[in-house]
Amino acid sequence: MGGGSKRRRGPRHLSQTVRLDRRSLWTLNAVPGRAVYGESLRRFQGQEYRRWEPHRSKLAAAMLRTKDDPAFLLPEPGTTILYLGAGHGTSVSHLHDHLCGEQNRLGGRLVSVDLAPRCLRDLTFLAEVRPGLVPVLGDARKHAGWGVLVPRKVDWLFQDVAQAGQVDIFIAACKRFLAPNGTGLLSLKAASERWTGEGEAALFAEVESALNGASLRVIESIELTGYEDNHRLFVVEGMEA
Amino acid sequence: MWLWYDWRAAAIADAHGNIVDIASWDGHMTEHAIVQRLSQVEQGIAIPEVQVLLNRFPEAKVCLHGDPELPEADWPFPDDEAQEMADKAALRMAIEGVQRSASDPDRRLEHLVRGSDELRASHLTMEARLIEWAGLFFPMAVVTDRQAFVACVAQSETPADFAQRMELVLPQEQPSPSEWASIHEWAADTSQAQSRLDRLEHALRLLASEHLPSVTALLGPLLAARLCVEAHGLQRLARLPSGTVQILGAEKAFFHHLKTGAPSPKHGHIFMHPWISRSPRWVRGKISRMLAGKISIAAKIDAFDGTPWGDEDVAKVEARVEALLETHKQPPARRR
Repeated sequence: MGGGSKRRRGPRHLSQTVRLDRRSLWTLNAVPGRAVYGESLRRFQGQEYRRWEPHRSKLAAAMLRTKDDPAFLLPEPGTTILYLGAGHGTSVSHLHDHLCGEQNRLGGRLVSVDLAPRCLRDLTFLAEVRPGLVPVLGDARKHAGWGVLVPRKVDWLFQDVAQAGQVDIFIAACKRFLAPNGTGLLSLKAASERWTGEGEAALFAEVESALNGASLRVIESIELTGYEDNHRLFVVEGMEA
Repeated sequence: MWLWYDWRAAAIADAHGNIVDIASWDGHMTEHAIVQRLSQVEQGIAIPEVQVLLNRFPEAKVCLHGDPELPEADWPFPDDEAQEMADKAALRMAIEGVQRSASDPDRRLEHLVRGSDELRASHLTMEARLIEWAGLFFPMAVVTDRQAFVACVAQSETPADFAQRMELVLPQEQPSPSEWASIHEWAADTSQAQSRLDRLEHALRLLASEHLPSVTALLGPLLAARLCVEAHGLQRLARLPSGTVQILGAEKAFFHHLKTGAPSPKHGHIFMHPWISRSPRWVRGKISRMLAGKISIAAKIDAFDGTPWGDEDVAKVEARVEALLETHKQPPARRR
């Protein structure tokens, strides 16, 4: 079998807080007893975990689908990361479990930007019980408004904005915020792009060459069909300027 | 020379990226003060420390943190403690921003319009059911005024009471007391829904004439509000081509037209306006095209703070409608 390492059968830890159990992902709940979006809670060895639903979170879907080690898709705990298009905080809450932990014991910062006040409302509720989560009501394209909250370049950047010009937004964000050799993840919704060419495959190929052209090395492009149709998640690496 | 700044400090670096001078904010770091600074930066206003350094190095080029022109340098970034304070301030700003969205009249209008639609739909079905339901037991009752009929049922404690009010003979088949109680309560709910709807539409009228004065003057508040909601906000309504405004609400017919080549829709929601719905069929398209153009103008006036239209301007549009009606009195000859 080509393409990466074989998956082990038994449960294993992708990090201190993220657990891969066959085909389900779990994160150590930073706010024990509380589910964020109706996901199931379960105890493993006396500690409560939240199920990371791949149907709700494109990041979880990508981790289950990647041909590489899924741990490569996660940021280093305790660092600063940037999440553009945070939505209602589904993925963000699990990333917070991983990055910050209970009462931010790991000292991470999760800057999460979204444009919609309705989404931000849910995020602010989340941020109040999860220190380390920094919600920002702002436009992912307008870095001047909130860029001062990210002093140094980040090693991990995720974008899920589902609007026209996603790729350009991502490239601009990576130029500005992604450190060399940092990981950038772009969740691309095909339906959001104006595409008159032939089929989605051609669109995805075009996106890949656009990313490569912007001095970002595409490591993997993960098909999410089944979890999230007409979506693809691109994993890129920032290169030295 | 470069002058770098963020929300907390400003610094001067020379062309090689060596830091020459730093001015840091030495005030008391309260959440409120940081919120103020962060929102200033967001609006593109430089912090006071920039001026301090600019007085010392007038030739330096001022750049906000992250400006691509800035050279690599060891800028004085906030320490962990300051960063934590800034994060708290960011949360406060997010909450304030979320609260500000409540002042957006577009969102308020949307709830009012959709709410009145839902209430009207449920009121009408409830009214229809009540009339059928009560009519089952009183087949001789003639309903001329539906609202009055509902009120009459709502006031009658017993079937006999109702028969007396309606001057009917009490029929032989009677609803059981508990069944009549349900009918009676249903009627009370129905007439309550009616008055709730009236109050809701009153609120809608007030908000629409405040938010869209010109469009309201032209079309009336209810239709103006509906167009604004259908266009996803006043700003977008003002930017839509008037051909789109003309068929807002007729999307189904429009896409059917694009797909199959069926005749294109001539009017969407604006059909509700009596200038269109009360005109002969063959001029409706002409009037709605002209009216949509005027709506676009009115929406632009409202969106970009123009002087709202008054009766005079509306009278001019009405004159255009009259002229169109005048020139097209007869239906066009049928094509062979």
